[in-house]
Amino acid sequence: MLKVTDLSAYYGEAQVLKKVSVTVEGGQVVVMLGPNGHGKSTLLKAICGLAEKADGRITYRDQEINGLATDRIVNMGITYIAENRELFPHMTVLENLKLGAYPKNARPHEKENLEKIFSLFPRLRERQKQVASTMSGGEAKMLAVARGLMSNADFLCIDEPSLGLQPSLRAELFSTIREINNQGKTIFLVEQNIPHIAELADKVYVMEEGHISFEGDKEEALGNEHLKEIFLGM
Amino acid sequence: MLSEDTILMLYEITDVIIAGLSTGSVYALMAVGMTLVYGVTKAFNFAYGDFFNMGGYFAWILIVGLGLQFGGYVTVLLIVVPVLFAVGYGLEKLLVAPLRTREDWENKVMMLTLGLALFLTNLYMVVFGVRMKSLPPILEGTLEVGQLVFAYQDIMIFVMSISGILAFGWMLNNTRTGMAVKAVAQNPVGATIVGIPKERIFATTFAISTVMVGFGGILLSQKWFINPNSGGTIMVKAWVVTAFGGMGSIRGGLYAAFIIGMLEAFVGWMFGMSYGIIALFILLLATLVVRPQGLMGKGD
Repeated sequence: MLKVTDLSAYYGEAQVLKKVSVTVEGGQVVVMLGPNGHGKSTLLKAICGLAEKADGRITYRDQEINGLATDRIVNMGITYIAENRELFPHMTVLENLKLGAYPKNARPHEKENLEKIFSLFPRLRERQKQVASTMSGGEAKMLAVARGLMSNADFLCIDEPSLGLQPSLRAELFSTIREINNQGKTIFLVEQNIPHIAELADKVYVMEEGHISFEGDKEEALGNEHLKEIFLGM
Repeated sequence: MLSEDTILMLYEITDVIIAGLSTGSVYALMAVGMTLVYGVTKAFNFAYGDFFNMGGYFAWILIVGLGLQFGGYVTVLLIVVPVLFAVGYGLEKLLVAPLRTREDWENKVMMLTLGLALFLTNLYMVVFGVRMKSLPPILEGTLEVGQLVFAYQDIMIFVMSISGILAFGWMLNNTRTGMAVKAVAQNPVGATIVGIPKERIFATTFAISTVMVGFGGILLSQKWFINPNSGGTIMVKAWVVTAFGGMGSIRGGLYAAFIIGMLEAFVGWMFGMSYGIIALFILLLATLVVRPQGLMGKGD
């Protein structure tokens, strides 16, 4: 579904990604682990057209998308859920969600997607009228994921969903992500160093210093002693 | 019993209040437009005042130049509003947008729009001459309530600029484009993420503000004449209202506009019109000493 080939990206003068290649098949949950500041987020941003400069190929459903503006990429069905949420602080939950349905392809599905989201996140239904800036960290994170779903995307790039969440909320969010995946969405998720995250994944990548240092399925990742120690915290 | 002199003075004061309300309402319209562009694009448009004249001149071309008979100001607005929108949109795309990717672009935009202001002022002088043009009132005649006399013109100016502000507010809260404008103002990154084409919103915002100040120009030119040089003065007034109300606060701009409209009317009545602008700056400076962020600014 998504294929990244030999992607290099830069942040100012510094090269953050060094010829990275990644493949995500439709319907999978792919998790990319790795230490902070080693290029994971940059990869997600490059896929969504948010990186400063990226050379290489990124194809989505066999179409080249590297270099397209973000609004075109979103309209093709890829959505980015930012680690710091990037909500509209002075708008209500409902207004944030409705803006999630801004892309042309999402508009006809606005009502049905809103219903789906409210059954997925019942708390958001209760808090429709609440202003986003007054929400707790966990709720804001849910709203960010929900807003991403409003774009009717088939492909979700989720940047560090668990950052700053307490363990119980983290578990809740991961089970929701699993549910979203069961509903047919493909998920590419980036995490730093979270125990048990690999259990969610169909495929695991590890990024270190701008390179892919490990690629394998869940069993391989769980069996790898080096990974276990460093990233899975076991 | 009130003496005859006192009664006369009360009438005069009523006149002054009406004048303050009608110019204040147009200032409000202009301040909202200026706050909008600043809030969304974070850039300052120095040519803002010259779009005021542009509205006046377009109306003048239609009414006086071409001798438009049919529909009066309704037809004028139906034609001029889309033209102003197109001019604003086009200028943003042509002049401002290419600068936005450069370093220190805010200052470059200021310099460029300052140049545009000078260009437009001189263009008006070449095309229309230095002599002032006048527009007929929207509605002639007066409304008499007991001893009080109100010019329909003032009432119309007030009603139309308030309608303009309300229409703008409705658009901002009830249309997809309006919500996108708010989204870009609140969080440009978030707006990009949800797929809002930011460039298009910047141009649309610029275009809407051009319509608002140009519409203000059509309304006030009936009272003040159209003068090719007045762009600078209008720009200064709109800026004083915006800074006094608090940069980026639409509500603050509305209050400030009426306070300043009234101040100008009373100072003009007591000391003569040319003292108005001095009074504005005294008020602004005095306010900024106490509240540097303006009346309702967030003061970040």
